Amino acid sequence: PPVAAEEISATVVAGHPPVFRWVKHVSQTFIPAVNAALEGSDYSISWSEQYGGSLAKVGDELEATEEGLAEIGLVSSLFDPAKLAVQNVTYFTPFVSSDSTVVAEWMDKLQANDADMKASWEENGLEYLGGATGIDDYLLMTNFPVESISDLDGKKIGAPGPAVNWLKGTGAVGVSGNLTTYYNEIKTGVYDGVIVFASAAVPGKLYEVAPHVTRIGFGAQYAGGIAANKDWYDALPPMVQKALKGAAITNRIAYHKDLDATVGKFLNIMEENGATVTQVDEAFRKEWADGMDNVAKIWAEKLDADGVGGSRVLKSYMDTMRDAGATPVRNWDQE
Amino acid sequence: MTDFHADSGQAFLPPWFQGIRRIADVMTLVLNVIGTLLILAVMVLVNADVIGRVAFNTPVSGVPEIVSMSIVAIVFLQVAQAFRKGRLTRTDAVLDYIQKRAPRLRSLLEFIFTLAAIALIWQLFAASEPLFVKAWVRGTYEGTVGDFTAPIWPVKLIILIGCAALLVQLVLHAITSLFALTSKKGTSL
Amino acid sequence: MSPFEIGLTSFGAMVVMVYLGFWVPFALMLSSFVGVWVIKGSPILAGKLLALAASETISSYFFGVVPLFIMMGFIVSVTGMGRDAFDVANHMFRRVRGGLGFGTVGANAIFAAITGISIASAAVFTRIAVPEMRRHGYSKRFSVGVVAGSSVLGMLIPPSLLLILYGLLTEQSVGDLFIAGVLPGLLLAFVFCLGIFLVALFKPKLIGEGITDPYDDADALTTQEVLAKGLPIAALIGLVLGGIYGGFFTPIEAGAIGCSGAIIIGLLRRALTLKDFWEVLTDTGLITAAISFLIIAAQMYSRMLALSGVPAGFGNFVATAEIGYWGVILAYVLLVILMGTILDSSSIMLILVPLMLPVLALLQVDLIWFGIITIIAVEIGLLTPPFGISVFVIKSSLDDPSITLGDIFYGAAPFAVLMLVVLGLVLAFPQLATALL
Ligand code: NA
Ligand code: NA
Repeated sequence: PPVAAEEISATVVAGHPPVFRWVKHVSQTFIPAVNAALEGSDYSISWSEQYGGSLAKVGDELEATEEGLAEIGLVSSLFDPAKLAVQNVTYFTPFVSSDSTVVAEWMDKLQANDADMKASWEENGLEYLGGATGIDDYLLMTNFPVESISDLDGKKIGAPGPAVNWLKGTGAVGVSGNLTTYYNEIKTGVYDGVIVFASAAVPGKLYEVAPHVTRIGFGAQYAGGIAANKDWYDALPPMVQKALKGAAITNRIAYHKDLDATVGKFLNIMEENGATVTQVDEAFRKEWADGMDNVAKIWAEKLDADGVGGSRVLKSYMDTMRDAGATPVRNWDQE
Repeated sequence: MTDFHADSGQAFLPPWFQGIRRIADVMTLVLNVIGTLLILAVMVLVNADVIGRVAFNTPVSGVPEIVSMSIVAIVFLQVAQAFRKGRLTRTDAVLDYIQKRAPRLRSLLEFIFTLAAIALIWQLFAASEPLFVKAWVRGTYEGTVGDFTAPIWPVKLIILIGCAALLVQLVLHAITSLFALTSKKGTSL
Repeated sequence: MSPFEIGLTSFGAMVVMVYLGFWVPFALMLSSFVGVWVIKGSPILAGKLLALAASETISSYFFGVVPLFIMMGFIVSVTGMGRDAFDVANHMFRRVRGGLGFGTVGANAIFAAITGISIASAAVFTRIAVPEMRRHGYSKRFSVGVVAGSSVLGMLIPPSLLLILYGLLTEQSVGDLFIAGVLPGLLLAFVFCLGIFLVALFKPKLIGEGITDPYDDADALTTQEVLAKGLPIAALIGLVLGGIYGGFFTPIEAGAIGCSGAIIIGLLRRALTLKDFWEVLTDTGLITAAISFLIIAAQMYSRMLALSGVPAGFGNFVATAEIGYWGVILAYVLLVILMGTILDSSSIMLILVPLMLPVLALLQVDLIWFGIITIIAVEIGLLTPPFGISVFVIKSSLDDPSITLGDIFYGAAPFAVLMLVVLGLVLAFPQLATALL
């Protein structure tokens, strides 16, 4: 006689609402992929999807999953830089690669193979499933044209926490800011510009107030991925574990395909709405990168002092990206 | 309205209890004052950030992080005093009605309510303790390396201190309502 | 019991506890603790939910400045600037019955332009307006009611933290949303004044026994007096508005700058002693603690409800029922108002707006207009029992224990009805929201 199917319950948590692409794909790609993999087996999952702060705010997904309030979390390492320190390596190494698909694929591989990356998930009671959230190339959007770096002198530029470091050495004043208020802050003049990615700039209509879009090539970033509560995961039947990790890969591929398809479109939309999109040359990029402090080194040394292999991870990431064909403007690990 | 909270005439309370209560109240007040000073500090900090940015092109690093941690500290430093002063919201229509007709029932109800609150804050304290330990052991911080970082554990510790202070006030409140319940003059509370 | 039933049951239990007189934050905490325990089958997890909500809910820059907005208002009040502003309002509306009510609404509309949060407006005008209205013979219920009602202007007239949140949820331009909020905000202020005027005309007793006679010209201030009384508050408003729209600081930072400004003006007028200042600080702290503790408890409660699936269930019902354009919009508005009786504003938006988005896209709803509809409907919940944040804030800011929570809910009810009227107008005439765009 057939064994009665066992139903496993899983609460999935994300701090952002599903209008954000990375959350939408968890709901529309990851979950259906798990269900498809389990179809016809003895197991099925009953999902409870908790997005948009209903169970945890942005940056609190890790703790909610670690404590077991949710079984699976879309964990943002970007907003948990202390607990997932090594995962933030991309934000400390700008000008490496502008291809978010490549960055995400290799970061996912590092989560599985690099000892320090793995340890960092385990210390937080999590099993990393995969599904890296890559962020498309960050842009500089300003209300004044940027032809040379000296144009930035004394200008106030809003940027997400770690990207404030990118502005050091340019003469611009980096102000730690929040995506939700960029529009008004530029409009009233609190900021003269922002560092932001295209897939956020278009919905926020930032091109209206900051029509000068400069593609500096800061690079694509890794912002986090899908992780499960470790105790819960370890107790799952192997085939369910396999289904979850397989679905995370499917999710990463679908998300980045979607992202790539829209980024080009978004730049066009900005131009159609009167923005000027300029791409800086290699010399400009090099001048910018050379003028910066080596934040990667400061960051790696702090981690080394805390007993985490910061310098090793930095080298490992840079090597991995160089092997994958990236030509970093500055080799942060070799100074 | 009958005031079960501090600072109302409560002659039915034995002197030893009033003594304990005075000590607890001083400790609660100290936390309150620290929280108050913290509000002032936040104000000064945000002003410094704005003036630094506008006039000198040098914003203060880490203001959003400090402010978001401070507000949690401010609330937990003052919540015990807010309870003591009767500021926690409640509807009193039914309670007043009962007070007029059956004052002892009112005291009993107050006692039960306070017991429930004690159980809840105890839960909150017990579940918050591991969060403090984690923040302490792992040295977690807010902010970004290279720009500004501040440890999280002080805030988690203040949450524990605030819960403990609230627990003390709740226990005193429970005992007060028990005295009122058993006092011969319970009706004249 | 299914999680859905547990959610409904815990809601019923919470309402009973609140009416019996259990402290509101503890009632919310208890129903969420027991609710999660039963849903997840573990008291330990339930405790963890409480602890995480306690450390996360208010930990944000937005929240951090709430006490500063409250403090700014209290300094305005303790230095006599508030009273002077009311003398001026009283002077301007001296031939109108209920003039101070007009003044409260008008001053709130102006204050709304410098604050992004309704609870700051409620706390501030409880201190400024209620004592003045009581002094002039207005009834308890009217005095607190008009403050509760006009406090909602804080979120409708830009800047508004709720509109920022809505913009984030729906990918709409926050700038457009701010502009769209202006006319409905002014309309709401106008409708409030009209309501006060009509009641003063036909049922003056509802407003107060002692104010049946309009102020006569003997009370009138000289132009010099108007200037002397009006200039300090005008200077403060100028500082804050000028600073925000001149690009010197953000609406969030405005609380801190406004505080400094109020302190300086108070010192210049020799109206702020160290003792006053310390009392203002302590009071700000206690109110902040009481309100934040309540908001933390409300967040625990809404997380429990989210786990139970009740809000999503209702939302799905509205989103999937085939009831046509107006059916969906009206059912949504009704649902928001119902949820407003028990949940806080941002939780309602976070739960319902993402659920509605796909349906709205199908129906080709104008999301800017829909945002304004959402804000007005959500803000009605600030005034409705058993969970009405504005009313709670007023209660904890009041010095007068003879005014009960019930009085404030009663007093606020007519204003909630007037909000419904404005909501109906914006529903019927979308141009009210979109005309300025
Ligand atoms: Na406002
Ligand atoms: Na309500």
